[in-house]
Formats: sequence, structure tokens, C-alpha cells
Amino acid sequence: MARYLRLLGALARYGLARELAFRGNLIAKVAVEGLWLAILLIFYLTIFQNTSSVAGWTEDRYLFFVGCYFAMAALVETFFLSNCNEFADLVRSGDLDFLLLKPIDEQFLVTCRSIDWSTAPNVLVGAAVMVVSLWRMHWPFDPLRLGLFVAMFLCGLGLAYGFLLLLTSASVWLVRNQSLYELWWLFSSLMRYPREIFQGRIVTPVGWFFSFVVPAMLVISVPADVMVNALDAKTVGFTAAATVVLLVVSRKVFRLALRRYRSASS
Amino acid sequence: MSAVLVALPKYLKIYRVSLTERLVYRADFFLGTILRFLPTVTTILLWEAIYEGSKKDELGGFKRDEMIAYLLLVHVSRMFSSMPGLAYGIARDVRDGSLKKYLLQPIDMIAYLVAYRGAHKTAYIATTALPYALLFFLFRAYFPPFPDALTLTGYVVSLLLAFLIGFFFEASLGMMGFWFLEVTSLLYIVGAINFFVSGQMLPPDFVPKPWSDVLKALPFKYLAYFPAMVFLGKVRGWDLVYGLVAEVAWAACFIVLARLLYRWGLRRYSAYGG
Amino acid sequence: MPIIEAVGLTKTYRVAQKKEGFLGALRGLVRRQYKEVRAVEDVSFAIEPGEMVAFLGPNGAGKTTTLKMLSGLIYPTRGEARVLDFVPWERADAFRRRFALVMGQKNQLWWDLPAADSFQLHREIYSLPLDQFNQTVGELTEMFGVGDLTRQPVRELSLGERMKMELIAALLHRPQLLLLDEPTIGLDVVAQVTITKCLKEYNAHRGVTMLLTSHYMRDVEALCKRVLVITHGHLIYDGALSGITEQFGRTKLVKLQFLGETTPEGLDEYGEVTERVGPAASLKVDRARVPEVLGAILERYTVVDMSVQDPPLDQVIAHVFQEAAKQMAPV
Repeated sequence: MARYLRLLGALARYGLARELAFRGNLIAKVAVEGLWLAILLIFYLTIFQNTSSVAGWTEDRYLFFVGCYFAMAALVETFFLSNCNEFADLVRSGDLDFLLLKPIDEQFLVTCRSIDWSTAPNVLVGAAVMVVSLWRMHWPFDPLRLGLFVAMFLCGLGLAYGFLLLLTSASVWLVRNQSLYELWWLFSSLMRYPREIFQGRIVTPVGWFFSFVVPAMLVISVPADVMVNALDAKTVGFTAAATVVLLVVSRKVFRLALRRYRSASS
Repeated sequence: MSAVLVALPKYLKIYRVSLTERLVYRADFFLGTILRFLPTVTTILLWEAIYEGSKKDELGGFKRDEMIAYLLLVHVSRMFSSMPGLAYGIARDVRDGSLKKYLLQPIDMIAYLVAYRGAHKTAYIATTALPYALLFFLFRAYFPPFPDALTLTGYVVSLLLAFLIGFFFEASLGMMGFWFLEVTSLLYIVGAINFFVSGQMLPPDFVPKPWSDVLKALPFKYLAYFPAMVFLGKVRGWDLVYGLVAEVAWAACFIVLARLLYRWGLRRYSAYGG
Repeated sequence: MPIIEAVGLTKTYRVAQKKEGFLGALRGLVRRQYKEVRAVEDVSFAIEPGEMVAFLGPNGAGKTTTLKMLSGLIYPTRGEARVLDFVPWERADAFRRRFALVMGQKNQLWWDLPAADSFQLHREIYSLPLDQFNQTVGELTEMFGVGDLTRQPVRELSLGERMKMELIAALLHRPQLLLLDEPTIGLDVVAQVTITKCLKEYNAHRGVTMLLTSHYMRDVEALCKRVLVITHGHLIYDGALSGITEQFGRTKLVKLQFLGETTPEGLDEYGEVTERVGPAASLKVDRARVPEVLGAILERYTVVDMSVQDPPLDQVIAHVFQEAAKQMAPV
């Protein structure tokens, strides 16, 4: 609703004001993000110095995949990751109470409370990389594909968000939770490569598991596929359905976690 | 030397208490172990696909099997040499004044932390030994024949030295907290670079010369790359000896560096008050 | 219609027991033992609109837990409550808009930004119309006397100033009920006095019902006529402040001024001598024995001046807490 968007805008503005107060730190963080992207690009270039295709993805298409990954990871890190990571501390210190008192949906407050501006530039970089790769492969403009891509990208974002929310809710039950950053690193390592790499007798079922049971690998693969490879209606449909299911389930689990917090706290 | 022997029981006690502390966080443990495998598995699959697509037997001096074995072995190296939170913890103690507890009690911060980390590592290795062994058994086809006794000794030595290098390097980073208020940005940068430069992401041999030579001259290769190469049998004979001697030298350097920084830092700290 | 109605509120919860030592920790990996803690036990009371009521009790008595149940933050194990005609733990949006909870020593405002920015965020969260918001901010900043401080980052303010900002933020959406948990804890005397004065004024001015927990008698005496005393989760008193001494005061303070330079010997027969200064002495005497003791003293000694007083309120309360602690000592 409009009210939530306005609130988000206000949070974004004040978040930026706060980050700018520590300019040096912000610049350093942005530099680190840039460094990390550079390393990933070097890795990509090194791979394609040695081979011409990876699991059916040629150089330019793989570059698109990489750009998609940058942008998606950056969106999650900018909007949600630091908030979710703080949740365990809020539960422990009892400061979660303050969020529960506000007449605003708790899930919104917990996951969107502040915006990490240091990773925001990466979204643009990711988009730029995608554009460059499309240009290099002389991609024919197709509005249907573009529309589907945007839809699948949003689904991927929804899947990542839902998974993050599940992990966040877990902090209520586990006394000391693994740092959420670590768990996010694990999740993002699953989505970092095209899911076609899961070929072979033993690993195909694993790939199947992480595509259809815990749909981590669909997050980037599907939107990227839709854009540069063949269209597969079944996968697209499944992704959309999985997104809806995961968002609903994760919200239920989150509310369960809040109930548990409120029964156990003193 | 006698001072060390006298102090030993104290640090052993710390080791025991720390070990207990670790075992208390049970859910953390079980979950974390299982989840740590995933990125390795995906990376291995990626490299399989790369070799497949290249239609070549050998890339960067590594055969496909060797590459996969390498990726598993750097995990073992990192088990010994990674020090999560060490530098940050030291810098934080300096910043918020909890450093005082080391100054007021008859305890040396560095020795304490070594005992603490040693305990954590032992607990971690003990509990992950089984799943790791299982994983390695599943992938045993990729491994070269088990190294001979001499190489194996060299391997174990390199791992223990990797622990020391990893510890004292991170400790030295943490000491920056005596001079700079905000060290976290520095730690991020170093962490990001380390992943690449230690060889954990891919062997430096893949990087075109002269950069690969630069990378191999740095001490960070000992944190992941070197021990893995020893086990794979890619470092033999005099190369191995030379490598180990250099590793000892680097470890000594970092120990000295950490101690010096600590002493200078303390002087500055007490000059400015807590 | 009471604004708060609590019936039989009870809250118990389980705490995992950690065993000592290495073997204990090992055992703890496989099986855990739990202990039951009774935080609040069968508490019932009703508060009318506009009242200012204090919750008194030692640390861990259950005051904060009760407040949290009334705010809807915690589910009770048993019992019912109605606040502002809502069931608090259902946490209806409309309910959350009508009250505010402030906790001493806990910061709701954004640390690095000026309080004014936090107020703006508050406005967005509660969807307050701009002109009403501006008017309220003006009123409150004037009443609390903070003026320009709202433009300074919160972390640069003193503890007392920060607390005032917290209170302003809590009152921005014009709640009908204000719950305060140890609002003046850790503050210097001047800040304490200012805050209690403002709260009293606000209550008189706007009729906002206030319920506060505290263990500072000064605040309680300044603000509240009615007191609920809780120890170990049990409500042991609900009534006027003045009534406490009558109900719980075991002793009275007898002050005597004797003829001559010093106090005579043998005073300890009649009670506990708490003070001797020159010819004056103070005696703590059991209530019931006061007439008899006075009679005896007046007969035996020459008394120039005397008075019989109630002991200070916090002494009475402290005594009450001690007694309760002894009665409910853990098995």
C-alpha cells in the first residue's frame, strides 16, 4: 500500500543520511564491494580462457548470468540482509518489543527497517554487466522475453527473500544462531552457478532437490535462462508457483516465531 | 623457557573451559557442519563442467581429478588457518575497553587467544572429522595415491604452521585497533582479498604470469594453497623442504609482528588512557 | 468503564538448566533439564481512565512482565485482561495506536540521527496528519523544555535529555494510555524531577492514564496516589499510598529531647535506638507498644520534647520486600 511505500521512502532517506554521517566507512564498504565484483569477474575471465562453454553456457551468456547474479545479490544485501541479521540480536536483547508495539506489520519492520546503501551501487553494476553481455551477443530485442525476464527476476527475488525470512525466524528457536551472513553466503553459493552443472548420476537428484524442494538454484538460473536461452514454460510456471508458496509459508513461520518469542520472553 | 612451562597449565585450563563453551552451542554445531559442504560441492560441479566444456585433459597444470581433490583439500587447510572473528574481536576489545581485563589479570592476551582458538579448532575438527571423512571417501576416486610418510609429515607440519600464520596474521590485523578507530572496513577488504589470494577460490597457477608468481611469493598461499599442493604430491623433494622452511620463516615473522604491535599498541593505549 | 482490567493474570515459563563442568556440558548435548519460573501469579486489578498508578516492587518481582502483558508483548499463561477495550495480546492495529510503552534505559530512537528525524519517522509510522503532528511536537518540546536539542544527534544528548526525547516520541501520537517501565532509572536528580513534573502536567492537561513501574519512592510519591505492590509475582497491596504505612508499618519512630546535655542510659529497653545526638535520641518502637513505652519513658526520665512519626516510606517498603522474600524463599 501507499502508506508502506511512503514509510519505505522515509526509511531510505534517513538511512542514507545516517550512512553519509560515516562517509569514510561507506566509501570503504563500496570499495570492498567493487573489489569483490572484480574478483568474480577475474574468475569468470579465467574460466573462459580455458574453456569455451560451461554446462552449455557460452561466454557471453555466462556473462549475462554473472550480471544477473550481481544485481540479485545486491538487491538482497541492500534491502534485507543486514535487517535479518540483526533479528537475532533483537530477540536476545528484547529490543524486538519496540517493533512489536508499532501499528505496522512486523515482517515489514523486521526485514525492511534499514537500507544498506553500500551495496546499492552493485545493482547498477549488475544491470550494466547484463546490458553489456546482451550487446555482445547481439541479442534481438523481444518485449515478451524482457517482460518474462522481469517477472522471473522478481520471482527469484521473492524466493531469496522467503528463504532469508525462514532463516531469520529460526533465530527464535536456536539459542545462538549461526551468523545470518554465513547462511546467506551458503545460499548464495548455490545460486551462483547455472543449475545445469548438476549433471551426473549422483548429483542430479541433489540438483533436483535444490531446484524444486529448496528452490535456491532457480533464483538466478530461471531469469537468466528466460532471457538468453530457450523458454521452458514448465519451469517458468513452477518458479512462479514456488515463489508464492514460499512467501506464504515463510510468513506463517515468521508469525509462529513471533508467537514463540512472545511466549518465552519475560 | 621455564616461564612458558610454568604458564602452561593455566593456558591448558583455558583450553578446556573454551572447549566446554563450544560444546554448549549444539544446534549451531550440527547445522553448520552440514551446511559448510554445499559451496564446495557446487564449486566442484562447476569445475567438472569447465573441464567438460574445454575438452582438454589438463588446465593450468591441473588434471580434472587433481582440481577436484584440490578444492576439497583447501577446505582442510582452511579448517586450520581460518580465524573468524579474531581480528574483529581484538579490535573491539581495544575500542570498548575490555582490553583492560588482560591488563589487570596475570594473563597474556595473545597466549590466551591462542589457547582459546586452539580449543575451538580442536572441537571443530573433532566434530567435523567424521562428515569430512565421509565426503572424502565418496570422492576418493579423484584423489591421487595416498602420500608417503615423509610427504604426509610435511603435510601435517604445513597445516600446523598454517594455523600459526593464520592466527598471527589475523591477530596483527586486530592490533590495528590500537591505532585506528574503525577497523572493520580494513577487515572486509582483507577478507575479500584473502579468499582469492590464499588460493581458496582457485589455484594461483590459473592466473596468467607474472601475477601467478606474485601470488605464490606471498605468505597467504600457506593458508590454503600450499598444504593442498603438498598432499597432492605436486610439491616434492627439495621444493617441499624449501617451502616448509619458508613457511616456518613466515610464521616466525608474523609471531614477531603480532607481539611487537601488541607491545607498541599497549604503550599507546596506556598513554591515552582506556 | 475501567481503562485497564486484569483478572488472574499469570505468567510462568521454563528456563533450561545449564550444568557445570565438562561432563555436564556433554550431558547437556543430549538431554536438557528445565526449571519453572513463576514471574506473575494471579494478579487482578482495575484502573480507571485518568488515573496515575504506580507498580512498586523489588527487582524481578514481575512488574515489567505485567506491563508487557498489558502491552500485548507477552502471552499470559493464564488469566484475562482488557486494555482500552481490547485484548492486548491480539495486538490489533487500532489498539497499538492508542497507547505507548516507554522503557527506561532502552532506546527506541535512531542513535545517529537527530531526534527530530526520529519524530518524522514516527509520524510516517502512525500516519499522523502534518498540522496535528507539528502542533504536538511544538507543545511537547516546550513542555519538556528541550527546544533546539531535537536537531542534535541522539547519541550526543545526556541521559536525561534522551529520556525526554523518548517520552516526546511516545506522546506524539496522543495515546490514551502511557505505560512507563522505570522511566527515571539512572537519571540525575534534576532530570528525574523535571520528568515527573512534566508527566504530572501532561496527565492533568490531557487526562492520559499513566501506569508506571519504579523503585524510586520520590517519583511514586510525586506522581501517584494509588499504588500496586508486587513481590515475587504476587500482588500484595492495591490502594492509596498513605495506606501502606498503616498496613505494613510495624514500627514507629519516637523522637525524644531530654533535659540536660546527654541522653540517659537504659533507653534500649524500650526499643531500638537509631540515633543519639547530644540530648536528643530517636527510638524505633513496635507500634503496639508505643503508648506503653511513652508512658514508661515519661515517668522515668525528664522529657522536654517528643514526637511520634511514621518511618520513611521507603524503609517500610524495603521491609515489606524483605519479609516477602523470606516468606517465599525458594525450596
